[in-house]
Amino acid sequence: MTKPDRMIEIINLNKWFGPFHVLKDINLTVRDGEKFVICGPSGSGKSTLIRCINQLELHQEGSIVVDGIEVEAKGRNQRDIRSRVGMVFQSFNLFPHLTVLENCTLTPLLGQQMPKVEAEEIAMIHLTRVGIAEQAQKYPLQLSGGQQQRVAIARALCVKPKIMLFDEPTSALDPEMIKEVLDVMVELAEAGMTMICVTHEMGFARQVADQVIFMDQGEIVETNTPEAFFTKPAYDRSADFLSHIL
Amino acid sequence: MTSDLQTFVPRPDRPPPADSAGVAAWIRKNLFSDIPNALMTLLGAYIAFTVLSAVLNWALFNAVWSADTRRECLDAVGRAGACWPGVAIWFENLIYGLYPKDQVWRINVGFLALILWMVPLWIPRVTSKIGIGLSAVMLYPFLASYFFLGGDKGVVWTGLIALGLTGFVIVWATALTETLQAKTAGAWLIDALGRANAEEKMQTRIRLLAVLAIFLLACLAVWSVSFTEVRTRFWGGLFLTLVISGIGITFSLPAGIMLALGRRSNMPVIASLSTIFIELFRSVPLITILFMFNTMLPLFMPAGTEVNQLLRAIVAVCLFASAYMAEIIRGGLQAIPNGQYEAAHSLGLTYWQTTSQVVLPQALKIMIPAIVGNFIGLFKDTTLVSIIGLFDLMNMARAIGEDTNWLGLFIEPFFVVSLIYFVFCFAMSSYSIGLEKKLATGRDTG
Repeated sequence: MTKPDRMIEIINLNKWFGPFHVLKDINLTVRDGEKFVICGPSGSGKSTLIRCINQLELHQEGSIVVDGIEVEAKGRNQRDIRSRVGMVFQSFNLFPHLTVLENCTLTPLLGQQMPKVEAEEIAMIHLTRVGIAEQAQKYPLQLSGGQQQRVAIARALCVKPKIMLFDEPTSALDPEMIKEVLDVMVELAEAGMTMICVTHEMGFARQVADQVIFMDQGEIVETNTPEAFFTKPAYDRSADFLSHIL
Repeated sequence: MTSDLQTFVPRPDRPPPADSAGVAAWIRKNLFSDIPNALMTLLGAYIAFTVLSAVLNWALFNAVWSADTRRECLDAVGRAGACWPGVAIWFENLIYGLYPKDQVWRINVGFLALILWMVPLWIPRVTSKIGIGLSAVMLYPFLASYFFLGGDKGVVWTGLIALGLTGFVIVWATALTETLQAKTAGAWLIDALGRANAEEKMQTRIRLLAVLAIFLLACLAVWSVSFTEVRTRFWGGLFLTLVISGIGITFSLPAGIMLALGRRSNMPVIASLSTIFIELFRSVPLITILFMFNTMLPLFMPAGTEVNQLLRAIVAVCLFASAYMAEIIRGGLQAIPNGQYEAAHSLGLTYWQTTSQVVLPQALKIMIPAIVGNFIGLFKDTTLVSIIGLFDLMNMARAIGEDTNWLGLFIEPFFVVSLIYFVFCFAMSSYSIGLEKKLATGRDTG
């Protein structure tokens, strides 16, 4: 079975949206503490792949094992999986009717039955970590995009995940706000979090990624170290993609 | 160097020019800015004056204030003035229907209890507002049922009434301790007993015992009083209107939420049952449903069982209102972006946690105008129960004109009834606008 240091093991994963084959025979192993960056043209299935890992999408064939637990294709063990996997979205998806602090404490209070004092303490630790502690009593829509995304990261961390998934976390941000979010992600990576990031921030990929995955048309075309991927891509398709974004 | 500097002295403020501020300027700017505007203003003023003077002449200046029959009114002023004595004599019936005069205090006390139950909701220092609101919806009806209906109460009903009384006592105990001591009644009791450091299990047991003691006392209190029975066919007037619409309103919101969630459910049986219910009740006029329940329901019941006519009307109104409410709420649910569901799911919240903590609070906030609009519609729709022979406010007003002393007196009672409806509907409308403003503060500013 899975060795303990394997955080995510994906074997022969296939998924269809109706007749459309989005993911074709995906195989991927992520060890504890590794950072993967997934890039590729839009519609290549990168977001769908990471959404399958925490069951926002259900797959039809193959297996996904997260921290030793099989992700069921029927989605019955969602809570076990989701308490181990944190996710950050492109559009932040903060809860606008709750304050920043309440956004962070909602799940610990409800799902994990934590006492309120403890939940707020933990939330403040993470909000301090992403540099937003002084905004804790504000509502999300009073913050800038970069601040909102940092709150979203803190909110995901409050569930104490072992793996963090990032789905294009900086794509909806103004250029000058991208850096403040990337800084938080770099700090998180340096602290040893297992991370899978769908992003086109190649500077970030070079700095923290252990592996870069290039996807196109539902397949993993190339998996390589960032060094090799950026200087000497193995496939013409990856070289073509890189020529467009670099 | 410094001595060379001149001292800056700000100039004193001057008042604004006379044509840009003050009453005169406002009038000129908004009412007489140019010739068409001035003409419209004069025309509007003329229409307002004509209508108002006609109404005031009829209702106040030419009106007859004391008479024994409508004939006396007609002899005095003809049709130029209103004939108020008829309405005045019947006024009590407009409010209470044919409820026995010596028992009317029970209705007053019953509604006073409801108002008292809700008062803590407006006290800023009270924190358990959701609990108080829920208890008012769930427990108050038991208490009210005995005040309004009275008569022989069996063991079960006694228990239920006592439950209502217990709720009332606990609501006020909590309101008092939270206002004075900033802690719930339960916490206050435990502190008073000096058990603040006891285990949580022990504290829960103390709370339960206290509730049980209040309940037993309430049972005793309920047991010792007995009201004579007032059968529902004596209920009428504004009282009946409030009972039907009150039950309709409190039932339709939760039922509508459940139906809307059911219709959006992934479970095909629940989704199709909800859809069928909603579409069925929305496609049929309320009058038809009232007739159906009134005449056909007894045919389906086993022989010998008799369902109270008022109950049949209430059930019909409730089902009809919840079908409408369900569609309003479904509209609100659709306004919540998918990302909210995904974020809640990715954090590991369950379906019910997501619905109650993330989706509904946002959806209900956007839906306040539509929901209150529906409540107002429902309140006015209850006039239709007159069709099946219930004497609600509207039907009671019509009865005045059929009294031999006041034969043909219709306009005056309808005028008064319109005012009563206006007061209630305008109050609901104002409350909803106030609620929107309150919920909007500090949010959605970005």
